[in-house]
Amino acid sequence: MSGPRNAEDRLRRLLVMLPWLMEVGEVPLSEVAHRFNLSEQQVQSDLELVAMCGLPPFVDEMVDVFVDDGMVFVGIPRLFTRPLRLTAPEAFSLLTSARAAMELPGADAGGALGRGLAKLAAVLADAGIDTDMHVDDTAGVVVDLARPELTDELVEAASSGTELAIGYYSPARDEITRRTIEPRHVFADSGNWYVLADDDRSTELRTFRVDRIESVEATGRSFVADAATPPPRFFDDPEVQRVTLRLAPAARWVIDQYPIDEVVELDDGWAEARLPVSGERWLAKLLIRLGPDAELADPVGDNPALAIARRLLDRYDAPALRSLS
Amino acid sequence: MVDRIERLTNLLALLLETSRPLSLIEIAGDLHGQYPENERSRRASFERDKAALRDIGVPIETEIVVGGPYSGQTTYRIDRRAYELADLDLAPDEMRALQVAVAAVRSDSGQHAIWKLGGALGDERPAVSAVIPERPELPAIRSAVASRAPIEFGYRGEARKLDPWGLLLRGGFWYVIGHDHGRGERRTFRVDRFDPGGDHGADTVRIGAAASFERPPSFDPRTAFPADPKQIGQGAEESVDALVRIAALRSGAVERELGSDRIVERGADGSVLVSVPAGNLPAFRSWVLGLLDHAMVESPPEVRQHLVDWLAGIVDTGAGQR
Repeated sequence: MSGPRNAEDRLRRLLVMLPWLMEVGEVPLSEVAHRFNLSEQQVQSDLELVAMCGLPPFVDEMVDVFVDDGMVFVGIPRLFTRPLRLTAPEAFSLLTSARAAMELPGADAGGALGRGLAKLAAVLADAGIDTDMHVDDTAGVVVDLARPELTDELVEAASSGTELAIGYYSPARDEITRRTIEPRHVFADSGNWYVLADDDRSTELRTFRVDRIESVEATGRSFVADAATPPPRFFDDPEVQRVTLRLAPAARWVIDQYPIDEVVELDDGWAEARLPVSGERWLAKLLIRLGPDAELADPVGDNPALAIARRLLDRYDAPALRSLS
Repeated sequence: MVDRIERLTNLLALLLETSRPLSLIEIAGDLHGQYPENERSRRASFERDKAALRDIGVPIETEIVVGGPYSGQTTYRIDRRAYELADLDLAPDEMRALQVAVAAVRSDSGQHAIWKLGGALGDERPAVSAVIPERPELPAIRSAVASRAPIEFGYRGEARKLDPWGLLLRGGFWYVIGHDHGRGERRTFRVDRFDPGGDHGADTVRIGAAASFERPPSFDPRTAFPADPKQIGQGAEESVDALVRIAALRSGAVERELGSDRIVERGADGSVLVSVPAGNLPAFRSWVLGLLDHAMVESPPEVRQHLVDWLAGIVDTGAGQR
């Protein structure tokens, strides 16, 4: 946490900190700061401020907390002994996180997570936030993180520190390369699964798409497993090239399928969409799938699908049409 | 004048502990010297404080006094039962599992929720995680699903009214599925494609009265639409299977995708012949072309011809433009 904090943020944090402090009674300032993502200075000034608060006439019914010599002490727990109920966004986030975690490799629906989720669902209903997310009831909110088969093996290798030899299909070069990787972290993002790994070819941390990994084999060597934090979302990268496509009604699925920067509705059901592209070949593939239902509006130039369409036609043995070019 | 956070904390304590609803005049009297003397600026400061408390989730109730000398005055209090989080009675391993779940999804509001439950995100660094897209509309839609309240929103410039049956995250996007009043049938909408509402996206979704509809008893959002695009729109009565030759380079990936039972023949060069549902021709075509040079349709002839015509159309248009 950095930068100036407004009164709402400070109070919000205090309202989770105070009930916990009253429960533990006495705790090092450094531990409070670490637990609540604040600096010791911030914790100290917030607690000193709140110690001046209480009920009128502001004599004995006060928040009884003080900081002395690097320790936080609580006197008589009186006000704010119970945490505030969950807000709708907090409840949604917690429930969705738990649902997502159930979808991750290694999740045990009947285990601690499933039991915790059931209790949470029951209590949220009592607290006035309705929920119908019983563990045996998938209605309401469903998180679908369907994964390629190899994902579990990669997670296992990242946890145990097992070096792997993989065959990886590179769409940019259209070939399968052999690589030796140390898997650090496996994650799902925008509908795909990725493994973040140290890679012997590029000698740096690289992200591989799991559905492009053709084969996996343990090399017999191991490394010290230390899960790395996954990188931020790919498509937020402003460096990624953008194109503008004009899409016919039949090609509207593109707008639903890919991250789109902007959509402008045109006449007769067409739409103009600006979207990030991960490479020339990816764009060509998209355009060849869309055919006459899409036009490349920006950048203006040759349709990169054209050369591929000619080549494929040759292979289907339909040479008559080549005369058109 | 006291620090704002001090006044907010005092106001919160007062409204929580009071045995009866208090008017602004009583509140200002109890918090002596903390609110401005001038009536108009006192009201403005109080409204700001009330909004701030509600913003962090404090349920402040208002009541209009009926009868007596103070008739017509608005009074305020906090219902302690609505304020306090009930005890979840989580076992240590359950608390820990929820912490790991939130750590694996890395959301700020999830972290706050964990703090409220008495936990903390320690140094969990799970080997596996997921990015769950956040949208400001989602918590309200989920509440509407739970309370059976219809929602109204704009979609491609058109006003929609929907009985929301469920939310589904699939392929990195949130969908809401339900009964569309205007269309009179089940529809699926992508939540991030809702038309933006008025100020700063507030009011993107309007929530109607609770308990307004019944959800079909066996409804499961997972089945709202097929996960496999090739299956979309495919009628069971006219299922056509096409034979597609897949080159060695992509044969492993295709086998993993379709399953080994779809392999009709394995070539000596590592290629495979697969049987693929082609009932939905556009979806099938899109799948084949996505494999570029590595997939060739062998039969039936009409499906093969469809691909050829499609490619010829691209060449034709491209050549015509130049």
